[in-house]
Amino acid sequence: MDLTALKISDLRSMLDKKELSAKELTDAYLDRIKAVDDKLESYITVTAEAAEKAAEKAQEKINKGEASALCGIPLAIKDNICTDGVKTTCSSKMLENFVPFYNATVMDKLENEGAVMLGKVSMDEFAMGGSTQTSAFKKTKNPYDLTRVPGGSSGGSAAAVSASLCAAALGSDTGGSIRQPSSFCGVTGLKPTYGRVSRYGLVAFASSLDQIGPIAKSAEDCAVILNAIAGYDPHDGTSSKNEVPDFTAKIGRDIKGMKIAVPKEFYAEGIDDEVRKAVLAAADYYKSLGAELVDCSMPSLKYAVAAYYLISSAEASSNLSRFDGIKYGHRSEEGENFAELISNSRREGFGEEVKRRIMLGNYALSSGYYDAYYGKAMALKQKIREEYENIFTGCDVILTPTAPTVAYGVNENISDPAKMYQADICTVTVNIASLPGISTTCGYDSKGMPIGMSIIGKKWDEATIIQAADAFEKNFTRQNASL
Amino acid sequence: MDLDMVRYLSQLGRLSFTDEELEKMAGDMTGIIEIMDTIKEIDVTYDPIKDNHNVYLNDLRKDIAADSYPTAQILQNAVNSEDAFVVPKVVE
Repeated sequence: MDLTALKISDLRSMLDKKELSAKELTDAYLDRIKAVDDKLESYITVTAEAAEKAAEKAQEKINKGEASALCGIPLAIKDNICTDGVKTTCSSKMLENFVPFYNATVMDKLENEGAVMLGKVSMDEFAMGGSTQTSAFKKTKNPYDLTRVPGGSSGGSAAAVSASLCAAALGSDTGGSIRQPSSFCGVTGLKPTYGRVSRYGLVAFASSLDQIGPIAKSAEDCAVILNAIAGYDPHDGTSSKNEVPDFTAKIGRDIKGMKIAVPKEFYAEGIDDEVRKAVLAAADYYKSLGAELVDCSMPSLKYAVAAYYLISSAEASSNLSRFDGIKYGHRSEEGENFAELISNSRREGFGEEVKRRIMLGNYALSSGYYDAYYGKAMALKQKIREEYENIFTGCDVILTPTAPTVAYGVNENISDPAKMYQADICTVTVNIASLPGISTTCGYDSKGMPIGMSIIGKKWDEATIIQAADAFEKNFTRQNASL
Repeated sequence: MDLDMVRYLSQLGRLSFTDEELEKMAGDMTGIIEIMDTIKEIDVTYDPIKDNHNVYLNDLRKDIAADSYPTAQILQNAVNSEDAFVVPKVVE
């Protein structure tokens, strides 16, 4: 049996019944990483020795009958989540040698659960991009076709899950960075409600939009991980004190009577025909299960990409001003004075896309342009939130494509940043409105590439979108990646 | 976007470019600003009061002093450090 292909739910039962040891499981993944990651290029750092030790500790817990849901489960972590004593590069030369001396809150929580970290996986530099091709280190490939991108920015996380190089992974999502790569790589990715998971120790990109979440082989596995990482954290003032429910509670419940809204703008021009058909076929399937489909509209969608890029870049330009080459990060060897040292360090440390975002952010915030760009984007944010609130008065969840197309070739789109930005149209409004969203595979195109659909929920109602995604997954057979 | 604006923005962001890089950045930014300009079509106004729904001012944590990280740890990721962050001379 190929252990690495199994879901967390199956692995849990085998570990608890002692049909499998935590060490055997960890070794199976480490062997597979050795065998195929040269081709996939998902891991930046493999922490084999620490993983073996963590597996031993997990086994002790299992032997004592004290195992919690993730005890002994091997996970990959996106390289923008701080890990004590383990390099956290953000796929940037700026942080090539950065070793945090503290854990992100999510890492403390996973360690307490007895989860096993296999290593740190690649991403777009500072999470800015949708292809993982802006990484300064590992330009991860798609396990379904190595000539295509895995999506991004959590492309390493999604590709590693899809190619069974970990049982599941953590990613982060600022404008679609968990859901879009999950769609491209044929796995399930969940972006929780803003505030559900602590951002402490997540290297900041756009603080009002960033959220950590799971990428896994199923909605149920995502729920198990969200159970472990959710909750208030005094280190993150934006984390919520709302009660954390059991996110697996609604799994398996009948979805008869569930109202699913289908906003027409998400299926309009610009969405690939095969993608549109697959998602609408999924809507019909839900109807056959007894769900009710509701027509609705989001007129502001056409302005969403602009609003998202203005807000996120404005925040990024401010957040990334901390990288000066002095306190941590790349320091230039050239620079006669203080100002030169900083600009040379930033020039050498940041890649092109990061520089573009800083430039755009400064433009949006600069005197004479602020009202026309940043102010307008903030007004649109309110409008988009209102439109969602209106739609949710008549439905339980919303169904959309996750991306306009399937995964594209590694050399496509890269030279045209404006075109790349437009591709985020299906995901960005969820971050703007602070909502939860889950992407799961709903079909394959004529070339066998996965197509993802997104289910968007009301604020704090992750349990219902997990229920809906699970109901689809239970009767859908996924095609395995070719790698 | 003209080169003067690109140069100005690069100064604001403490970034430096060669002339060739500046030209390319100007081209990229022009394409990006075209997308951003779509929001000029719509008439909406920001209402700061509405945006306060996420702010719990009565729910801030207590201001209690906690231990700081040790200096050695804080300095461990600085390239040039001698028990302090070392920078080029600032005052002439």
